[in-house]
Amino acid sequence: MPRLTIADLQKIKDQHKAEFTLREGGYRAKVTVHMGTCGIAAGARGVMTALMDEISKANVTDVIVTTSGCAGLCAKEPLATVEIMNQPPVKYCDLNDEKIREIFKEHIMGGKPVEKYALVVGSETTY
Amino acid sequence: MEKFRANVMLCAGTGCVASGTGKVREALQAELVKRGLQDEIKIVLTGCNGYCAEGPVLSVFPDEIFYQKVTVEEVPKLVEEHFLKGRPYEKLMFREPEKKTAIPLMKDIPFFKHQVLRVLRNKGLIDPEKIEEYIVRDGYQAMAKALTQMTQQDIIKVVKDSGLRGRGGAGFPTGLKWEFASKVQSDIKYMLCNGDEGDPGAFMDRSVMEADPHSVIEGMIIGAKAIGAHHGFIYVRAEYPLAVKRLQLAINQATEMGLLGKNILDTGFDFHLEIYLGAGAFVCGEETALMRSLEGKRGMPRPRPPFPAHKGLWDKPSVLNNVETLAQIAPIILHGSEWYRSLGTEKSSGTKVFALTGAVNNVGLVEVPMGIPLRTIIYDIGGGIRKGRKYKAVQLGGPSGGCIPEHLLDTPVTYEDIVATGAIVGSGGMVVMDDNTCMVGTARFFLEFTADESCGKCTPCRVGTKILLDMLTDITEGKGKEEDIETLQDLGRDIIASSLCGLGQTAPNPVLTTIRYFKEEYESHIRDKWCKAGVCRKLTTFWIDEKMCKGCGACLRACPSKAIIGEKKKPHKIIQEVCVHCRTCYEACKFKSIDILPAGADENTAAAFAAGKGTKEKGDA
Amino acid sequence: MLGEPKILVVDDELVVIKSAERVLKSEGYQVEGALGGREAIMKLGQDNFDLVFTDLKMPEVDGITLIRWIKKTKPSVGIVIITGYPSQDTIKEALELGIIDYVPKPFTPSVLLDVTERAVEWIKGKAPEEKKVQEEFPPAMEAELERVIREFRQKPGSLIPVLQRAQEIVGYLPPIVQKKISQGLNIPVAEVHSVVSFYSFFTMKPRGDHNIRVCLGTACYVKGIEGVVSKIRDTLKIDVGETTENRKFSLEGVRCLGACGLAPVMVIDQETFGAMTPKKALEIIGRYDAAYVSSASAEQAGELAEKEG
Repeated sequence: MPRLTIADLQKIKDQHKAEFTLREGGYRAKVTVHMGTCGIAAGARGVMTALMDEISKANVTDVIVTTSGCAGLCAKEPLATVEIMNQPPVKYCDLNDEKIREIFKEHIMGGKPVEKYALVVGSETTY
Repeated sequence: MEKFRANVMLCAGTGCVASGTGKVREALQAELVKRGLQDEIKIVLTGCNGYCAEGPVLSVFPDEIFYQKVTVEEVPKLVEEHFLKGRPYEKLMFREPEKKTAIPLMKDIPFFKHQVLRVLRNKGLIDPEKIEEYIVRDGYQAMAKALTQMTQQDIIKVVKDSGLRGRGGAGFPTGLKWEFASKVQSDIKYMLCNGDEGDPGAFMDRSVMEADPHSVIEGMIIGAKAIGAHHGFIYVRAEYPLAVKRLQLAINQATEMGLLGKNILDTGFDFHLEIYLGAGAFVCGEETALMRSLEGKRGMPRPRPPFPAHKGLWDKPSVLNNVETLAQIAPIILHGSEWYRSLGTEKSSGTKVFALTGAVNNVGLVEVPMGIPLRTIIYDIGGGIRKGRKYKAVQLGGPSGGCIPEHLLDTPVTYEDIVATGAIVGSGGMVVMDDNTCMVGTARFFLEFTADESCGKCTPCRVGTKILLDMLTDITEGKGKEEDIETLQDLGRDIIASSLCGLGQTAPNPVLTTIRYFKEEYESHIRDKWCKAGVCRKLTTFWIDEKMCKGCGACLRACPSKAIIGEKKKPHKIIQEVCVHCRTCYEACKFKSIDILPAGADENTAAAFAAGKGTKEKGDA
Repeated sequence: MLGEPKILVVDDELVVIKSAERVLKSEGYQVEGALGGREAIMKLGQDNFDLVFTDLKMPEVDGITLIRWIKKTKPSVGIVIITGYPSQDTIKEALELGIIDYVPKPFTPSVLLDVTERAVEWIKGKAPEEKKVQEEFPPAMEAELERVIREFRQKPGSLIPVLQRAQEIVGYLPPIVQKKISQGLNIPVAEVHSVVSFYSFFTMKPRGDHNIRVCLGTACYVKGIEGVVSKIRDTLKIDVGETTENRKFSLEGVRCLGACGLAPVMVIDQETFGAMTPKKALEIIGRYDAAYVSSASAEQAGELAEKEG
């Protein structure tokens, strides 16, 4: 391990920021993937994996992903809810790998909800 | 960089490790792999979370869900429910003792809710074995500031203005201590840390060293700069192997990264730090004794002056600070003295960590602003007395402290207010006692400790504590005399007046405070040969109240001496000649039908007692 | 032992066996070789040997495994290790298993003969009293102790760390060890003794195989450690500070282990057990020595009866 300078201290902080956003809170966006039995059967795991992949490729530190139980709309699984701080949450349905990647780029990073996949806008927030 | 969606912060402090952290971790890892979640969920081993009694504990982020008493058997269900299906697993959540509802979020649990974390700021949030995680939490920023932007005087001024006082027991202003040492001219000075937590019933320092070792090291470097020292030692008890291991790892990492050793962060400042293992002597908590011990000698105190700020370790100017004090330093440097003073009182500023143990529902580490009442700590955070029993006293300050009775429970926890009760804040051990505790026996317990740990240098302490102990032993065995109480008090005051160090000057406190607040217990031991708590074997008779006894047989089966006879559904009886007074039956009885009577009680005493009990109960109603 | 001592040299390199044989045979020892641990176990099963010289790093059955096997099945055979990598950990492990000495590789004939002579003397034993002292302080321990003393010799104030390490190596601090340290560090024996007697961590009595430490802190007191202590005392028939006659257990009282959240607390060797009751304590001790299982299970049976009744 090399010797550090004061500037390096800040660099280490930045490198580990994403992980500490999880622990300390203060995230900008939260994605909830619904993982009930129905969701898992419909492919929610793949959606989750794709999403995690996008997040790590984009190297963002202020987006967190959680899971929740069945959202009650089993026919439209996989479902995910995207909540950007101070904006109404958006529920997406019938997701797959490509769709969630698109949602990540357009909505989570770009700020524009992807209306063609949206089920409903303005459901309950969870933060 | 690898990216996880959740972190499982599993406590790996001494307490939880003893309760099975290792096995839980293996099971958790195996289960995550089995479910294909190993790349999404990360397990982080943290230092002591403070909530030791319910271990192993873990919290899940970002959900902030807290789980306790996690067992290997429960792990598969926990993983399936929480991580796969996203449903927090209620079975392992905290439940309030009286109510049945589960509380999922850590911040809503009363034990955590009332705490303010400064010393314990990284508790359960970082892996203590990874220096990067400490750095992310603003670690070593204060040191960088102190080394580059502050003069010695600047540092001393901030610490002085913050009002921080030594957390090891005596409460001496830290800034002032540093100022004295900084003014002395010397080629070599030493910055020392006292991790020889000797008070029985205290484990704050162990937790800090285990959970956040870098916070202690950072505090030491800042202190070293303030006084102009380039060498330091951390004196740790050998009984704390995990703390030693984590500290050593932290020192190695910091040295490798240039945060310790020569030319720290290229600022030109050198500080070399070593760990020194104590060898078990309570008196070594005293600063001059500790320094003697560091020199490899018998740890005996010496008269002051000269103070260690002038002549300390190897006769060089030295500063000794306690672990918790040092862990307070970095935030003070970063946020300033005003920030620190925003909590606490005028003379006792900031926060203090207490080790809350004994007969309370929630046992563990508690950090609170100074000045909050004892009652808040014991009832709101501690959740009140176990098994619905009655509060009797809280013991503060270990063998140097005293017992505080119920009518003083609203005393604010400040150095001055606690001293006024006859106890001391001390290092922060807070042992709660219920009505099953005999106060004479408690005083005797502490005197046994101090008599044994007295280093023997001063006669009043060496011989005096032994005489106090013998007298207390006599009283608990029914050989007490009427004048004993006065003699205990006189002798106690003499020992305080004529001893050299803190050990002797405080050793009689447990006796004096128990006499002050629980004199009637001494009297009933001496006059009536009656230990009403049923602890002193020679001063109790256990007697079954035939009117109350349901004949359930619980006592009969529990009795190890087979001293109880009786038929089912009919009142039982204790054969007094066989009874060994172990009080097992008393604990076993669910109907409160066993009375504690004086030594040598017979039918008449029992009848009189039962009659008295009846009127008292009526009176209460 | 009849006649000349019989020695088995175990190594996975034939050249080591051959050269040891040559040196030892010239002094009149009977020597045989074994290529590896497996062959050694076979030979030890067929024939009686007095001493075994063994390498540690060998394929299949390694040295430590062989030592374990010998200690279990042929406890009277003396063991000396030959090793090219005397790392502190392996030496420590071997010491704990009860080896007599070690020979560093490569060795000169005179070193090998020296060690052999000492080892033979050791297994022959001398006067019983002297043997006892020796038994607890074999040459390998002595070498390790000397190494520690050398490491600390130049450092002021190193008496306590040296005593701590010495106690780790030997298990306790008998007069002979104190004397050695006094000479090594150039500190009067009286001063060494004064420090040993001052700190509760040091003991001058040998400890048992398993050291039971009960916490005598306040929280443990309030939660009833006394009942646990008296139960252990009655069961093992020793007092606090003593060791059982068979050297299996020793009982120690310590000042607060800082695990008050788990009170009352008991520690056996390095393992901590919380929320002790007299019954639980017995049960745990039973795990270390089956001799005490019966009493624990008897208690359990009692409890079972209680539940059923």
